Amino acid sequence: MNEKRVMNHRNIRTSRSRRPAWLVLLMWELKELWIGGKALILIILFSVLLGIMAWLLATNSELNLIPPKEMVFLTLQAAIAVGLFISLIIGADSVSGERERATFEGLLLTPASRRQIILGKFLAAISPWPVAFAITFPYLIVLSQGDGTVVINSLLWGFLLGSILTLAYTGFAVLVSIGTNSNRTSLFVSLAIYVICLLPTQFPGPAQAGFAGQFVKKINPMEATNQFLEKVIVNNRTPQEMALWLRAPVIFFVLAIFILFWYVGPRLSFDAGRIWMRRPSRSRTAVLSLAIGLMVVLATTPVMAVPARALDNETALNISIDITYKTIKTGDTVNFNTTVTNSGTEESPPMFVAMNIINLAKDGDPVDPEDWSPERTQAIESLAANQSDTQSWSIHAILDGDYMVYMVLVPEPDGAQSTSQPVVSSGIHITVTPFASLNPGGVLPLALGMPVGLTLLLFVLLWNRNRSINVGRSSSVV
Amino acid sequence: MTNRNNSKVASSLPEILLVEDLRKSYGPRPALHNLSFSLRAGRVMGFLGPNGAGKTTAIRILTTILEPDSGYFFVDGISSEYPEKIREKIGVLPESLGFPKQMTGHEFLSHFGELYGLAQNEAKSYAMELLEEVGLQQRGKSLIGTYSRGMRQRLGIARALINDPVVVFLDEPTLGLDPHGQQELLALVRRVAEERNAGVVLCSHLLPEIEGICDDVVILNSGQIVAAGSVVDVIGRVQRNIILNNGFRIQVPPPLVIEARRLLKDMPEIIEATSQGEADGWIRVELMNTSIGSSSHDSQINNKILKALINAKITILNFETEGGRLQDVFLRLTEETIE
Repeated sequence: MNEKRVMNHRNIRTSRSRRPAWLVLLMWELKELWIGGKALILIILFSVLLGIMAWLLATNSELNLIPPKEMVFLTLQAAIAVGLFISLIIGADSVSGERERATFEGLLLTPASRRQIILGKFLAAISPWPVAFAITFPYLIVLSQGDGTVVINSLLWGFLLGSILTLAYTGFAVLVSIGTNSNRTSLFVSLAIYVICLLPTQFPGPAQAGFAGQFVKKINPMEATNQFLEKVIVNNRTPQEMALWLRAPVIFFVLAIFILFWYVGPRLSFDAGRIWMRRPSRSRTAVLSLAIGLMVVLATTPVMAVPARALDNETALNISIDITYKTIKTGDTVNFNTTVTNSGTEESPPMFVAMNIINLAKDGDPVDPEDWSPERTQAIESLAANQSDTQSWSIHAILDGDYMVYMVLVPEPDGAQSTSQPVVSSGIHITVTPFASLNPGGVLPLALGMPVGLTLLLFVLLWNRNRSINVGRSSSVV
Repeated sequence: MTNRNNSKVASSLPEILLVEDLRKSYGPRPALHNLSFSLRAGRVMGFLGPNGAGKTTAIRILTTILEPDSGYFFVDGISSEYPEKIREKIGVLPESLGFPKQMTGHEFLSHFGELYGLAQNEAKSYAMELLEEVGLQQRGKSLIGTYSRGMRQRLGIARALINDPVVVFLDEPTLGLDPHGQQELLALVRRVAEERNAGVVLCSHLLPEIEGICDDVVILNSGQIVAAGSVVDVIGRVQRNIILNNGFRIQVPPPLVIEARRLLKDMPEIIEATSQGEADGWIRVELMNTSIGSSSHDSQINNKILKALINAKITILNFETEGGRLQDVFLRLTEETIE
């Protein structure tokens, strides 16, 4: 037996075909998750949801008026939200779940480093995302109706940003899981953060306007990602233009991964309480504080920069619009509000607000607003200091194209020998697409086929699994 | 069968676990004070103590799950400063270890084999060998969810052996098993020590069984060692104290109790011989304190008393020295400290 031990140890030392601990753990976790585990079932549910959504977009008399670009964006948005959700709940269960099932101590007793344990579990937790994206992709192709640019943009940016978000939120969920002994608490905290980030994306337009709305949009990684994707996929904006929106998801991703693998990972312990009780080294704490501080400054810089730029052009009067862009089809109506504010210390003169529309696709040719809107100008009475006035407007899209709508506020001059300084609002970028109806027949096979195919795959995996094990009980020993 | 009665052989074996002055506190509450002991290869050490004595804390420190406040230990010459290297040398069956129910026993062992550095194929074949060693070869490809409690404990022991450890820590391995299962498992533990030449640290509350298979014993109470050494020495040491200070009990036919008591009271070594509060026919004998305290002297007194009774034609049905078993020693030592 001694010889046996010596031989065995020799094998351990010289075995070149052995896999690193993180890979061993990853393969084990994948097996647990995907063969008879919860991941495949959640993915099947996801494909059902996606099928229903695509079917509704294609067949519902109101929804199918949405332009294909927007359908692609909505589907991609749902895929990211749900794929992320699946990874998040698996990540939240990764450590606290093992603690609850009393399997964690056995893992900590192996020579695998704490960081490798976390890496294996983390990679397993994010595994549903690429699968969810792969399932979504055929839907994106069908819904785009042959628009190659939309397909490429959604493939490239959708996968990249979805991956960044998934890594960040799953990293956060694993962090929460490491920090608690209770699986329920871990799931609750992770889902609460998810919902807090998801909710603002569902707020109505006016609630997302103004400084607070913009601030929340820019610091919320989920909303910032949606803004970026919508503008790039739907509104034909370039990624360079929209790069500012990438800061929040990227910073969240860097922070979550950095804290997980550099700070908390090595402190992984049997009891969650001990992680917080253990005193970290001063240098580690200093580096972490510095990193967090730097990230927060970077994240808030663009937000703070908005009013700073505004201050450069500060006048006593200003005008704002509650929407920034819109994609519609010919025949659709866009409703929006402008707000004129007197931020000076004296009463303003009476004013006029005039609507202007130019065609971006035709070298900025002006469009006659008379065809597009029932009223082209509105008069405003004098405004006292710090007083505001809101005006409602509507535009009917007559022709497809790429338009910019902007408003000019003209204060009434004091007299015949004086003039005034007009103030220009920000623009509304309106993309008008031709009316199109999606052929429902193109979606139906996909909407039905994908869940059915995945369910069949689940049964095949289970059948194959049952073949390799003895299912029955045996009465032998103890 | 075991090394327990052969102290010369035992002392020639290498020390594979050396513990020096371990201390641990949870906030203001001390859990361990100056824990020091050692274990030699091929020996089974009983690690005993009442609930809250610090056993689990000690085991968790020695298995690198917890860090001590001070002190150190060595496993096969490797210092506690290198926990990952220590983990390569030890095998552990924690109390209430959980198992993945949707995996087979063979998959479970192969997985841990790989985590301990074996290549995939080596891990699979070694897992098969271990399943055979613990008597689970027939159920290796069954889901762990279908295993009985005893089978899971066997699987847990197999997992603890996957890296062919130098020291094996088993925390309450018999918990929840029926008597037959307990016996089989303890026999397996003994075999692990003998055939693999591994040191085994065994935490259990089954004192008669511990006494049966352990070579050494460490008894903890309130975080301190109250007795340590070979089982025979510890029992002998405490037993001597109990006999010299208190006495023994003897059972005679009930009609002869009065006559026996009279005879015993007349002997100079005996302070008191009473049947009050004792079961039918039993007499408790309290002996004089002596300053000698050697086991040969104790035996001489016992022999003299028994001879006197036999000469008086009083049949001796039973003779029991108080503190003659590990259970008595345990109760005595832990009770004293608690008091």
